[in-house]
Amino acid sequence: MRPYHLIPAVPALALALMPFLPFVNTDGLWFGLPRMLVWGAAWCVLCTPALLLTERQMAREGAELTDTTATVTTAEGVDQ
Amino acid sequence: MTTILIMTFTGIGLIGVLGFAGRRKPAADLSEWAVGGRNFGAVSMWFLQAGEVFTTFTFLGMAGLAFSGGVAALYALPYVPIGYMVLFFLAKRLWSLGKERGYLTQGDYLEDRYDSKLLGTVAAVLGVVFVLPYLQLQITGLGLIVQLVTGNSSSGTLSMIIGSVLVVAFVLWAGLHGVAMTSYFKDVIMLIVLGVLLVAIPSHFAGGVSAMFHRIDKLHPEMLTIHAGPADQVWFTTSMLVSAIGVGLMCLPHAWPAVMSARDPKVLRRNYTWMPLYELCLLMPIIVGFAAILVLKPGSSANGILLTLSKQVLPAWATGLVVIAAIATAMVPAAGILIGISSLVARNIARVQGERTQFWINHGTVVAACGLSLLLAIFRPDLLANLLLLTYSGTVQLAPAIALGFLTRRPVGKVPILAGLFVGELAVIWLTFWNKDLAGNVNVGLIGLAANLIVLTLAVPAERLLARRTTPASDKQVAMTA
Repeated sequence: MRPYHLIPAVPALALALMPFLPFVNTDGLWFGLPRMLVWGAAWCVLCTPALLLTERQMAREGAELTDTTATVTTAEGVDQ
Repeated sequence: MTTILIMTFTGIGLIGVLGFAGRRKPAADLSEWAVGGRNFGAVSMWFLQAGEVFTTFTFLGMAGLAFSGGVAALYALPYVPIGYMVLFFLAKRLWSLGKERGYLTQGDYLEDRYDSKLLGTVAAVLGVVFVLPYLQLQITGLGLIVQLVTGNSSSGTLSMIIGSVLVVAFVLWAGLHGVAMTSYFKDVIMLIVLGVLLVAIPSHFAGGVSAMFHRIDKLHPEMLTIHAGPADQVWFTTSMLVSAIGVGLMCLPHAWPAVMSARDPKVLRRNYTWMPLYELCLLMPIIVGFAAILVLKPGSSANGILLTLSKQVLPAWATGLVVIAAIATAMVPAAGILIGISSLVARNIARVQGERTQFWINHGTVVAACGLSLLLAIFRPDLLANLLLLTYSGTVQLAPAIALGFLTRRPVGKVPILAGLFVGELAVIWLTFWNKDLAGNVNVGLIGLAANLIVLTLAVPAERLLARRTTPASDKQVAMTA
């Protein structure tokens, strides 16, 4: 487990917990839309920057993909 | 009505033609046919993976779910992005193993990782049994779509027959390339149609999306919250979790050919990174479903509401386009499911000698599986309906086996995995069919998974103890290491 594994955990938790957050799971609207819908959509959008950031961190730690050949020859190594 | 009918059958024909255009000549071997020679780039992969997500259920079912349960329908929004975030980390390992060891199916992976043909066969049989009803659902959905817009059941039956014949024909000819080609068309027309419906339906009935939600907030505020009842917080969270585990650990067997077809793992990672944005399209049918709350009587047929509202708002030719998009969401996933089922039978169940024989068994299975699903869809549409309840909760029991298989040094052998799988499936079947109230609103797949893990954990020391008594120390090391 490395620190970059935790970055996508933030949107994942925000999405999983959405019915339990009292300010989200309530009537009333945000921007003319149901709060649950806005919250879910916003965190879905944030999944992509979270994964991009993770990839960057992985590259920094030298865990990024280098090339396909290297990938095949090192197939037995556990990913990250 | 005639315009819609003509457009319906033209659409079915067009999807068939596009499927054939996927290849100039038929594939010569199973690897080329099932995983496209492992040479698919980012665009093809994108549409293939999206093809699995956006099915008849997404197109018609999500609108129906929003109509009957309000925001409870949003349980379907997070599970794919969460699953893809898991796959983002597993993609390189999965692809590398697949390429190096020549996997085409989920059964190949399990068989190889646990050195057990029995596990490969058991997983394949479970995959076929649990996914076949899903194939039938697509065919039944196709007939239902045509019947709903034409009001004529014989048109529905005819469309199921023509659609199934064309799907079988282009799948046999073009394999995964055919699915990819039809997926481009499906997603483009589906997005156009959903975009139009998103604007037209709320505008027509409520003066716009925002005005529509303000009215719902005033008249039906309960539809904007997850509250006590059959679709409460427990149902929402556990259903989402089971589906996310299913996606993240590739528990549905028909997800495997698409992933195995990637040119390199970078393609997979890029798609898993950007696909959550594409998931937002799921909100379009959900918002259309909310419009129905203001327009239709409670208790109206939920699955047909998107088409019912379309007919009320759009001219006949535009409704025809909606029908073509809906048909595409049935035919294209059906083609992908057929490839998943047939390669499981040919590789992990039939176990014949010779690549040629395996190839013909695969093709025979395509015809048999689609033929059986079509016959059941026409004559006994409810026969497999119960099994459909097991598609996710049943296949998710393979999650521990798949997850532990990724490790270089596996902590468990095949016996604990098989024992856990057996108990997990038993628990799911018992809670689904015999003791329905015991689980309450908890997804039975999650309860099965808990039972599965408990048995697996208890069986591991037992297996090690047995191995220590019977195997010399040097052999144990070999047995436990992949």
